[in-house]
Formats: sequence, C-alpha cells, structure tokens
Amino acid sequence: MTDATPGPDAEMLLKAQKRRNAWLAVALVAFVVIVGVTTAIRIQETDFSGGDRLYFTGYMDEAASEKADRVAQERIAARQAAEAATDTEAADNGDE
Amino acid sequence: MSVVMTATTTSPRLATASDYIELLKPRIMMLVVFTALAGLVAAVGVSGQEVNPVLATVAILAVALGSGAAGAINMWYDADIDAVMTRTSTRPIPSGAVPKDEALAMGLIMSAVSVLLMWIASNVLAAGLLAFSIVYYGWFYTMVLKRRTAQNIVIGGAAGAFPPVIGWAVVTGTTPLDAWILFAIIFFWTPPHFWALSLVAHKEYKKAGVPMLPVTYGAKATRTQILIYTILLAPIGLAPLATGLGGMVYGLVGGLLTLAFLYHAVKIWRSEAGEAEAGDAERKVAMGMFAFSILYLFGLFAALIIEHGFGLYFPLGAL
Repeated sequence: MTDATPGPDAEMLLKAQKRRNAWLAVALVAFVVIVGVTTAIRIQETDFSGGDRLYFTGYMDEAASEKADRVAQERIAARQAAEAATDTEAADNGDE
Repeated sequence: MSVVMTATTTSPRLATASDYIELLKPRIMMLVVFTALAGLVAAVGVSGQEVNPVLATVAILAVALGSGAAGAINMWYDADIDAVMTRTSTRPIPSGAVPKDEALAMGLIMSAVSVLLMWIASNVLAAGLLAFSIVYYGWFYTMVLKRRTAQNIVIGGAAGAFPPVIGWAVVTGTTPLDAWILFAIIFFWTPPHFWALSLVAHKEYKKAGVPMLPVTYGAKATRTQILIYTILLAPIGLAPLATGLGGMVYGLVGGLLTLAFLYHAVKIWRSEAGEAEAGDAERKVAMGMFAFSILYLFGLFAALIIEHGFGLYFPLGAL
C-alpha cells in the first residue's frame, strides 16, 4: 500500500519546484517581450526602400551593399557588352 | 529547486535563488557589464553614431547573460576542484544545491539566448564576438588552459577583455584601434590582478592541482611577473590619451591611478607575499594590490563614461 499524502519534505520540494517553474515562466515571457520589442524597434528604424536589412547594420551592411552594387554593375556592363556585340554582328550581317 | 547528493557533500540542501545567481558569477558579471557599457558609451562619443537606448539596453543585457552563461559552464566543469578548495567549496554545485547537469544546461541555454539577443539588438559582428568570448572562457580557458599551464590567466585573460570591444561593435558595427586599446588594458591588467589574489590562495590551488604561477614557479617569480605586467600596463592604460579617446578627465584619473598601481606593484615586489613564512602584513600587501587593481580598472572606464556619456570630454590638445 502506498501513502498518497506527501510528507513535509515532499511538500517543501513541491513548493520549491513550483517557485522555480514560476521563475522559468517569467524568464520565458521576458524573453518573448524583449524579442518582440527589439524587432518592432528594428523594423521602425530600418529603411527597407534604401536597401537596409533588418538584422545587419553598420559596416556589415555597407560591405554587403557595396558588394551587391558592384555585382549589379558588373551584370549591367556584361549585358550592355553582349547587346553591343549583337548589334555589331547584326550590322555586319546587314552590310553583307 | 533541486536536492541532490554529490560525492563532495555530506548532506543535500535545497537550492535558493541566490544559488542560481551565484552560478552566474555576479561579481565578474558586474565588471563585464561595466566595461561593455564603457565601450558602448565611448563609441557613441567618438563616432558620433547614435544607438537606440532600448536596443543598447538589450545589448548590455545580452553581454550580462553571456557572462553568466560562461560562468555557469565554468562552475559545471570546475565542480571537482571547487569542492577541494575551501574558498569555493560552498559554491552551488559542490555544496549539492544545484546538480551539475542543470548548471550545464543553464549555461548552454543562456549562451544561445545571449547571442541571439545580441544579434537582433545590434549586429552580427557584436553577436559573433560575444559567442567567441563565451567559447573562449567556457571552453578554451576553463577546459584547456586552466589545468595545463601557468600562463592560464595570461592567455585566458583575453576572455574578460572582449566586453568593451563588443560594446563598441554594438554601436558602430566595427572594432577600431580605440576598442582594441580598451581590450589591451583589461588583457594586461588581468595577470597582476589575479596573481595578487593567487599569492594569498596558492595553497588552495596547490591542493586542487591547478598550476597557478605561485604553485609552479614560486612566490618570488609571481611577484616579479606582477611588477613586469604592471609596468607594461602603465603606457597601455594611458594610450587612450594618444589616440584622443581619453581627454583631460581620463588623463588626470589615469595618471594618478597608474602611479598608484605602480606603487602597489613595487610594494608587492619588495614584500615576501606568498612565501611560506609570510605573515599578515604580507597578506595585506597582496590583498591591497588585488583591491586596488579593481579600483584602477573601474577608475579608467568610469573616466571614459564620464567624458563621453556626460559631455565632459575636453581633448588634451586644447590645453
């Protein structure tokens, strides 16, 4: 036969466990609130139309944006060169 | 709250909130937060860039959590030697209040949370530096260096030197020379600070088999090393004046503190502190050096906060 009634030690342990669970709950809620508030501020301060990224700022952003610009310019130049080459070829063919 | 029996305890006890706080090494955390804050405030003053106060607060909170996480991992790994030393035998794990696994879980979860918070509040560089410093202290210093070499404090001291660099990166997303000068100040400050304490506690370290400098090379060599590192620290502590990071207030405070720190270093070098026959007077000299070293670091970083945070920066060139 088992005794279902907890003794004084078991009661103390249960109380302590509940206290700890309450602290964990507070910590989790605090974490969610902090992440929420931080994200809201970041969204507010980020100029998405200017090419800003939400989670990269300062130097990291500048470097990334410079690289993106460089790659874009290289692509434009390559396309223009290809178009010019096609035009020249078409003109040459027309001459013939 | 947990009740466990460990090999090192005779009777288990219920863990209290203070046990979990102690697990995070709050005194180290305060120093870490203070130096990170100084780096952040100085970066705002020097770069002219602004940072949202809420994001700055979250970033500093992340630094505090990261420091606590590294402390918990350190206590998890060092539980065996903490149980041997009288000074540390009452810590949460050796006293049986907090189970080892729980401390490790706490450390790992807090590490992840701190890095994540830092990332969303500032930038990937600051988050990366924070992650690196946690790994540096929690793994490289604690698990690799501490029990292997007498240079543990010198190399491991870098872990505690990162906070002002992280604080700077939070604002600018970069780590310029000024930030690394603050790093160097803490890096060169750590050995004389810690070795002064180890001159008093060397018997404990010997008992635990930790190769601190006084245990492996003796008290005299330690006192000489304290003097050498303090002499090296003197110009580094005043380097912010050369780059313009420090102004008149820093110059005045830094100058006085440097002279006083050198005085303490010479005093300990001439003493018999750490020797087998050393008495109370020698112990006082060592503890005096230890206490003053804290005041020294606090004074330097407080001067930076006063200058850049309260608009009291007057460049030395204006003299």
